[in-house]
Amino acid sequence: MMKRFFFGMVMILLSLALLTNCAEVVQVGTTIGQGMGKISPQDKESIDRAAVQTAKAARPMTDEEEYYVGRAVAATILGQYRLYANDRLTSYVNTVGQAAALASDRPFTYGGYHFAILDTEEINALSCPGGIIFITRGMLQKTKSEDELAAVLAHEVAHVNHKDGLAAIQKSRWVEVVSILGSGAATKLGGAQLGQLVSLFQGSVDDVMKTLLVNGYSREQESAADLSALPFLYRVGYNPYALVDFQERLAKEQAGGSSRGIFTTHPGMSQRVVKARSVISQNKWPRRDDPARDRRFRETVS
Amino acid sequence: MKKEGWILLLGLCFMTSLALAATVKVITQEAMIRKDKRFFAPAVIRVPYGTEMQESGREGDWLRVSYQGKEGWIHVSAVQEQKFQLSSLTGGKAQETSKEEVALAGKGFTPEVEKAFREKNPKMRYDLVNQVQSYKVDEQEIQAFLQAGNLREPGGGS
Repeated sequence: MMKRFFFGMVMILLSLALLTNCAEVVQVGTTIGQGMGKISPQDKESIDRAAVQTAKAARPMTDEEEYYVGRAVAATILGQYRLYANDRLTSYVNTVGQAAALASDRPFTYGGYHFAILDTEEINALSCPGGIIFITRGMLQKTKSEDELAAVLAHEVAHVNHKDGLAAIQKSRWVEVVSILGSGAATKLGGAQLGQLVSLFQGSVDDVMKTLLVNGYSREQESAADLSALPFLYRVGYNPYALVDFQERLAKEQAGGSSRGIFTTHPGMSQRVVKARSVISQNKWPRRDDPARDRRFRETVS
Repeated sequence: MKKEGWILLLGLCFMTSLALAATVKVITQEAMIRKDKRFFAPAVIRVPYGTEMQESGREGDWLRVSYQGKEGWIHVSAVQEQKFQLSSLTGGKAQETSKEEVALAGKGFTPEVEKAFREKNPKMRYDLVNQVQSYKVDEQEIQAFLQAGNLREPGGGS
């Protein structure tokens, strides 16, 4: 009877542990239990050990770690593509992008959002974990208004919000990172451990790169990014229809048959357009074009 | 015996409520506490990464916080809720675990790992990444840009 009671208490403690400092809550309970003579020191030790293991396995990647992965991904991309040297255009893209980011569900990240133009004819936009976002010169040329540019950037901001880049990292790599950290305890990491971490870091960056430039995100991730981008646009006053108008135009071109860039990394665009359009209708979001925005877009981009 | 159990349970509930008492920690390189719950509200004080603050309320995506005797609002995405430290109640063993958990929280992909990674991959263009990260848009510039384009200051959430 007492054992069953104490088993119940352990279960409650483990639940509490999910809400608080896991291992510590469990240890408070086991210390009380041991003090009351309800469990043996051996039982206490094994329960405590299980709690610490649970805490380790549950540790997600922090925003700061996401930032370092994002920097490495960006450094890899910038090893393959040149930055487009046009300060005025870069500044304009950054301002539009910041507006979209502020309207997003995660307006602040560890290092903030930064937008840059890649000097290539390829038509693509890429987001690195943490908030560095690239748009190609080819993609920029395809946009016909500031609202369409905002739509492309809002879609990429949504990928950062959803941490889609990080999701590309193989789970086993992160489990290994956490287990290395556990073995290093509170002391400074040794050379071998640092070497292992660097190799896991490299693997993680490769995973993200493979998804960004080769395989693309899943249709579900792309569609979810569209559906998040729509309210971002609406909140700041951009025209949500700009997203579907732009995608529809690209989808028509896709039917014409292009093989590189966005068409490989953004699959099933026409189905996504149908879904996004129905969300706009349901929310009764108005079509909002603006001559002042059109003018500054023409002056800067065209 | 049953009575003892209930006392234990009540004690645990009390500890949980303590654990949920709101302290928040800044998780961005730096953040701004503002006078009002708006992105462009006047700044009260700049707070660096890791700063811990007491939270005294929430409205939408904005938390009311106090730091160094100053009060204001901070956006929820710039901070993380802190968990209550129970180490002191259980003595040395828990202190050790707490240290280990601190280590786990602080030593994953760090500047140290980035440095070693860069040494291994000297051709990577971190110089250009730093350039991209230096692109910043002034707050007043964004406000003027929004106004000129008939846009509005977003509420930063739903």
